[in-house]
Amino acid sequence: MARVTLDGVTKRYEDVTAVDDMNLDIGDGEFVTFVGPSGCGKSTTMETIAGLTIPTEGEIYIGDREVTKLPPKDRGIAMVFQNIALFPHMDVYDNISFGLRIRNYEKSEIDRRVEEAAEIVQLGGMMDRMPEEMSGGQRQRVAIARALVREPDVFLMDEPLANLDAKLRVHMRTELQRLHRRLDTTIIYVTHDQAEAMTMSDRIAVINAGKLQQIAPPLTCYNEPANQFVAGFIGSPSMNFVEAEVAGGRLEAENFHVEFDPSTTDGIAPGDRVVLGVRPEDIYLERTAEGIEYATELINARTDVLEPMGNEVFVYLVTGNDTETSMDVAAGEASDDQLLMNVDPDTQIEAEEDVSVILDRSRIHLFDAETGDALRHGLIDVASAESGTPERGVGDSD
Amino acid sequence: MATETETTQTQAERDQSDDSGPFQRWVSGSISEPGRAYRPMFWLVTVFFLVTTLFPFYWLFMVALTPEGQLQNVVFTPNGFNPGVFIEIFQILPFHRYMFNSFVIATVTTAFVLVVASLAGYVFGRLRFPGKNPLMLLVLLVSFFPPAAFFIPLNDLFNTNFDILEPVLSNGSLYNTPYALVIPMSALFMPLAIFILTTFYSQIPDGLEDAARVEGTTRLGALFRVIIPLSAPGVATAGVLTFIGVYNEFFFSFLMTDGQPQNWAPVLQGILGFQGQYQTLYNAMAAASIVAVLPMAILVVVAQEKIVSGLTAGGLKE
Amino acid sequence: MSTETERHERGRLAPVVDWMENLSEAAYAYLLLIPAFGLLTLIAFYPMISTFWMSLLEDQTRGAETLGGFVGLENYIGILTGDARLARQFLDVQLTGSFPFFELGVGFFQQALFVTLSFAILNVIFTTLIGFGQALVLDKDFRGRRWVRVAVIIPWAVPIVIQGMIFYLMFQPTVGFGADVMNALGLFSATPLASSQDSFFILLIADVWKTSAFMALLILAGLQSVDRSLYDVAKVSGASTWQRFKLITFPLALPAVLVAMLFRTMDAMRVYGLIESTAGCTTVPSMTCMVIEGMFGGTRIYGTAAAVAFMTAAIIGVFISIYIVKFRGQEGGVY
Repeated sequence: MARVTLDGVTKRYEDVTAVDDMNLDIGDGEFVTFVGPSGCGKSTTMETIAGLTIPTEGEIYIGDREVTKLPPKDRGIAMVFQNIALFPHMDVYDNISFGLRIRNYEKSEIDRRVEEAAEIVQLGGMMDRMPEEMSGGQRQRVAIARALVREPDVFLMDEPLANLDAKLRVHMRTELQRLHRRLDTTIIYVTHDQAEAMTMSDRIAVINAGKLQQIAPPLTCYNEPANQFVAGFIGSPSMNFVEAEVAGGRLEAENFHVEFDPSTTDGIAPGDRVVLGVRPEDIYLERTAEGIEYATELINARTDVLEPMGNEVFVYLVTGNDTETSMDVAAGEASDDQLLMNVDPDTQIEAEEDVSVILDRSRIHLFDAETGDALRHGLIDVASAESGTPERGVGDSD
Repeated sequence: MATETETTQTQAERDQSDDSGPFQRWVSGSISEPGRAYRPMFWLVTVFFLVTTLFPFYWLFMVALTPEGQLQNVVFTPNGFNPGVFIEIFQILPFHRYMFNSFVIATVTTAFVLVVASLAGYVFGRLRFPGKNPLMLLVLLVSFFPPAAFFIPLNDLFNTNFDILEPVLSNGSLYNTPYALVIPMSALFMPLAIFILTTFYSQIPDGLEDAARVEGTTRLGALFRVIIPLSAPGVATAGVLTFIGVYNEFFFSFLMTDGQPQNWAPVLQGILGFQGQYQTLYNAMAAASIVAVLPMAILVVVAQEKIVSGLTAGGLKE
Repeated sequence: MSTETERHERGRLAPVVDWMENLSEAAYAYLLLIPAFGLLTLIAFYPMISTFWMSLLEDQTRGAETLGGFVGLENYIGILTGDARLARQFLDVQLTGSFPFFELGVGFFQQALFVTLSFAILNVIFTTLIGFGQALVLDKDFRGRRWVRVAVIIPWAVPIVIQGMIFYLMFQPTVGFGADVMNALGLFSATPLASSQDSFFILLIADVWKTSAFMALLILAGLQSVDRSLYDVAKVSGASTWQRFKLITFPLALPAVLVAMLFRTMDAMRVYGLIESTAGCTTVPSMTCMVIEGMFGGTRIYGTAAAVAFMTAAIIGVFISIYIVKFRGQEGGVY
């Protein structure tokens, strides 16, 4: 068990910078997930921790030891790979015991550890199977057991569930959490799937274009994203973004406006361009909305496509007068006159219906239109000012 | 396309029917209805190939069985019957020693080539570094040159006495030692082995090498514990091709020793050894040839599946 | 810190291992190439350069020194104009004023360049055709395929000296039937192994017999990597056996065939052992033959021998370039 520290780690290839000045401090026993779109540098970052890639600049510490240039074998790490990477020419026992055999452990010690690891991942009685004779889930367990027997200081997992089918993936997710609770070892986990990141981690490190965007507990990333990228990446379906201009006590979007007093927030002045972000579950049909303490004024929209998911319905809305169905909506592209709303499955709603919706002001985020940095989360203090009550500042988490 | 083929067919038919005997009629009938002709044609061709490839061996066997001095017009049966020749060849000359020499030389060369070519194949197949393609071409260049182009300086080199070699070799020169064959033949057969192994090693997923390294091997350890075992068919193919190549090689085998069995002369010199100054023992040469081919034949029987699949998976795809 | 690291027993090699592990990828690559390139330098590159230098020096037939002074390309000119001090000429052609504007100094089959080139070209044509035929047979599934395959491949595994022996004996009038049969048919003279022309064709047959198997092996490997489902697609769309061959088998096997032809060409151009063990280098002079003759013929014309060796390599190089230019257009070209 050990802390893992990255100090200014940068990895440049000939013409690309894969990892750009990464600073991370991962606590002992913590489960941290690197999440980001493919090619964002999250795997390269992990490879530098594993020692499979040597960073161009910066230092890496595991525990109190600097390991920046140590070969992987000397770092006290174990790793589970995306393609599982079991040695196809070895049976399960040989695969699991590989690292121990390399290190010349006693036979009895190897047997003991293999048995214990196999028990943890429920692989009893399969010791002499070959990888090709096993299912994807079983192979994944072998790969985890191979990492477990080493009793490493740090576990690295590079998209270990990516090649499993959807159902198994969800199942393995819970198993990994159980495993972490039992071992209490530092785990660094890489995934492009934000749902995996949300469900398992103590903290999420959101990475984009080689840069760390935010490192925070999952719900913080969800509720108080540091910037527009994090806001859009975390949460499914994605947050709605609408460009707006700050003008005379309101935010002026193309087809609607939201009351807002710029003087309540640092760094916002009349005339600024901002991006207003609101998650689909924070948009309500006016006719069914109940108990929304801080609501915006009515926004007129026309429903476009409905996607009933069973437990909820996704409603694609087109705001403004020009309510013709745009191809952008169908393609899932966010654009200024489209909003995605999430309603109860028993809501009476149809496609191509004119509706009025409201937004929950306490759940609206503002981002700088140029830098994408979050300006504030929640607009309720403004709402209270409007309604005459003194500012309460609740929800102003900045 | 279809019309084109039809035209050729009718053309062929017309040609055939000009002077049509029964065979021609069968042929033209088969062409218009290929399915019917296919099986007998196939077997005909197969038998033809079998006869042409195997007949020389059969005939050689007949020559071997014919007693010395009666070697006239041996075609399908021997002129007399003398199986004892297969014993005699070991008595006239220490032919077993020549065979032994060849085996030692081929085995050592193969082992050496596999190790060195594995390192090079790993580098060319899996690593990125400047100058990769020029270096690869340089290796190919070696196979352009006739062995003769290397020979003159090598001959000088191997006949030079090196004082440092004195303790190891009787007179300090490599001539008449197994090294005189192993060293040049390793260089000669290395390019082929490098190409085969490069293709195989490049096909092993990166994840497996990474996994081995994280589990505690060095980079070299990952090569020998994971990449090479997983490329077993390729290594076997390269090994068999090298072994057969060295065993069959003529140029250096002929010129790098003085032909004495105790001086590591290979099997080639053994066979030529029956060519005396006054008399050539053709039957013994034939018998010796058969004995010398046998190990290769066994190797082909055992390894043919491997060789074909090895070449399929590797050598030719790249 | 880590129990694991401490556990790992560190031998005396540890510093070396650590040093190797910490090399950059490129440095590590060069390090691992040292054995291969060391050997190739000693056995191939150094001798090549040395041979080239020798080819520019004068032959020295008397005295203690084996080579004389620098003469530039004189040895090459001697070879190409038929003035070399060799029993057989490399090339001996005079230009004339009338059609066909050149005449041969000695017989076609007594000039090494013509012998070698025609041997290589005819050899590659025949082995490709026969090898392709054999590969097609071996590609089929039938009972006993394993043994047919072994039978077809075996000639390839025969040592050259034995291959030469078989055909030497076969056409040796006192032993084999070949000379009698061919003489009776009026194709060969009574002693074919003494005739340059007859021997040339004996050598050709002998080499086609042995090396077709190699062609078959490489082409078979090419055929087997063809996706079988393509044949089903073709069958479903009603292609005949011939069309399937023309439209699928042939084009997909073509890269393999070209690679095989390349190897065969390089090999056939270097023919020597087969000649040495049958008709002999005086009867059928190949390019390599002349190198050997120059070196061991007792005439000590080392400069000329080296020049012939280099010419041989240069001519092979020309052929390789032709192939490589052709390969460019081919999918899955060589290397």
